[in-house]
Amino acid sequence: MKCAKIVICILTFIFSSILNFQCQKQKEKVDNDIEITFWHSFVSSTIPALNNLIAKFESENPNIRIKAQYIPSGDALIQKLISAVQSETAPDISWIHADYLSELVQANAIYKMRHFIDSENGLTEEDINDIYPPLLHYASWRDTLYSMPLEATNLALLYNKDMLYEVGLDSSRPPQTWDELHAYAKRLTVDRDNDGKFDQVGFFVPIYPASGPLGAWMVWQWIPFLWQAGGYVIDQNQSQVLYNSSSGIQALTFWQALFNMVDISTFTVDYQVAFAAKRLAMALDGPWNLPRYNKLLRNLDWAIAPLPEGPEKRVTIVAGEYLAIFKQSRYPQEAWQFIKWVIQPENQAFWSIRSGYLPMRRSVLNIPEFKDYMKSNKNFAVFVKQMEYGQSQRSIDYHGIAITRHIADAIEKATIGKMDSREALDEAANKSNTLLNSVQEDLKK
Amino acid sequence: MGQAYKHKRIGYKKKNGFNALLFLSPTLIIFTTFILFPVIFSFYLSFHKWNMFSSVRSFVGLDNYVRLFKDGEFWLVLKNTFIYTLGTVPLNMAFALAVAYFLNKKVFGKKFLRTAFFAPVIISPVAAAVIWRWLYDPNFGFLNYFLSWFGVRSINWLNDPTAAMFALIIMGVWKTFGFNMVLFTAGLQGIPETYYEAAEIDGATRWSRFWKITLPLLAPTTFFITIISIIGSFQVFDIVYVLTSGGPLGSTKVYVFYLYEWAFKFFEMGYASAAAYILFAILFVLTLIQVKYLRSKVYEAV
Repeated sequence: MKCAKIVICILTFIFSSILNFQCQKQKEKVDNDIEITFWHSFVSSTIPALNNLIAKFESENPNIRIKAQYIPSGDALIQKLISAVQSETAPDISWIHADYLSELVQANAIYKMRHFIDSENGLTEEDINDIYPPLLHYASWRDTLYSMPLEATNLALLYNKDMLYEVGLDSSRPPQTWDELHAYAKRLTVDRDNDGKFDQVGFFVPIYPASGPLGAWMVWQWIPFLWQAGGYVIDQNQSQVLYNSSSGIQALTFWQALFNMVDISTFTVDYQVAFAAKRLAMALDGPWNLPRYNKLLRNLDWAIAPLPEGPEKRVTIVAGEYLAIFKQSRYPQEAWQFIKWVIQPENQAFWSIRSGYLPMRRSVLNIPEFKDYMKSNKNFAVFVKQMEYGQSQRSIDYHGIAITRHIADAIEKATIGKMDSREALDEAANKSNTLLNSVQEDLKK
Repeated sequence: MGQAYKHKRIGYKKKNGFNALLFLSPTLIIFTTFILFPVIFSFYLSFHKWNMFSSVRSFVGLDNYVRLFKDGEFWLVLKNTFIYTLGTVPLNMAFALAVAYFLNKKVFGKKFLRTAFFAPVIISPVAAAVIWRWLYDPNFGFLNYFLSWFGVRSINWLNDPTAAMFALIIMGVWKTFGFNMVLFTAGLQGIPETYYEAAEIDGATRWSRFWKITLPLLAPTTFFITIISIIGSFQVFDIVYVLTSGGPLGSTKVYVFYLYEWAFKFFEMGYASAAAYILFAILFVLTLIQVKYLRSKVYEAV
């Protein structure tokens, strides 16, 4: 009986202190700061930079506090956004992917950016024209701008200079074309002790399970090859897909050739580990890994090269992180203030230098701080220069996620499944076109 | 004095009923919100088309169910799930019984070993999958290294369509057999020592003691474990999602993964709800068959 009394006392104490704590939190909310919730998926190595950025903003805008919350990216991001919108707990600002724009717009969850750009506290036409066009293109759905790019990324080639030197290649001249990439990859795939297992692989072809979280990432890396062969994913009026054209077949066959060089599937699951362990010579990569590589890859001589040129043109795929303002936000003007602040050239330079992401507008390249940074970080400069010939995906109006999945299935079947690339792409295109046809029919109704 | 006591007793019963409800209310609330409501709403949804964001829910009748049966992938995932179940359940139970049996004797470090074997059950599936992805790595993984001692060529565990299912089954058994081991231990400890002693006196060998005493008397436990293991392995999702994500080429795509995709990747809640109810129907029928067929055997044995 006495024991029970003690337990009850302890529980009461715990509950009342929790209540007290909550009351204190309420008291804090009463003072005049406006709090903006900002959902993001920055990897942990970027968080210090993010905190610096937020601190700078808060010092220049004393009444606004940014509460940055990490949410996992990929599938989880859209799931969390949808449940938040449905339960009326949407954040003020969040990262979004263009894949989800159609769903979010149809749910009437986000503001059109023009609502803010054309307002008093908006942006000039000069500002808009300064932003790299592919970024704005990707941020729009049916030619209406629904999000604002926060930063840019693109795809380049990571390579190990020592390994090139070892096989007699010029280590300051990375492969420039598809043929060279193929030849280099072959030379750099080495089985030193003739045991049938390759000790070193030339080029890592990023094949991941199509139904997994990295399926879309695999497709994102394949698309520039499709473009370089002169192809497109979908046609202008979104009535049929074009990725199974001869350009698509050429691009997929190229990947097959690289994949079959060494049966990459027997290699390893993580190309970054393999590269750091000096078992991999070349891989595709983006700028977000630069801070990590600068810190960790000290015992090997590595560099970034522009993506090799394809048969038709030189192009790389551009993406980035996009911010949208939710209609459920109680402080849309303050949220816009943050976004407007973040895209100012000085702040873009500040952010870019610290995070390793690329700036989303050209005038940043004229800022002295940024120019110096580019001079002392040649690898970063390669990414920035690539923005000039970067292209972004045409935003697919409907069923973007499903169509991406069809392409991923085709890539997986052609590589691991050893299917003929024409067959694989045609199969996928049939499925995609069926979906697009049903959209046309629904629209007619 | 007597009357006051009588009065107190009636009040006690009434208060008792109310107190009982009070104590049950947290569980009842949670049950209603998270189990009862979703089950009913899901049934309702299976006859509609809804993409979770819009408030538009269009009635489509049996369309979702018909589409399911027409979809080739539906049959593929059903097949994969059957294969997974056939692979894990017998292995799982055999391991669990073997370990429980041997840890029931006088073994040094019995308690520690039991905890160690049970630990995989409570590890987060994500943490476990990260460990196993490295164990299965074709080039750097421990499993292939271990196999190379016996001259076995490295197996491409996670990227070869056939090997991937084996990899999944092995990890599945590792993750869940501890739970069955605990249940078997309880069952084993319920068998009186006297039976064994009597049999030993009569000259029975270890093997026939196991076969003729242990197994029959374990029948109720085995019956229960069979049913829940089959239900559990039909519903496997977390380890598939983190280990192979349904790849390669859909060879490890199980039923619940298919359901998850349609619900949370393609945002077709109605279609996914229909799939969920079909799973329920399948498991219901399977369990019914097991109960009808095996229960009589259990009574016979005991």
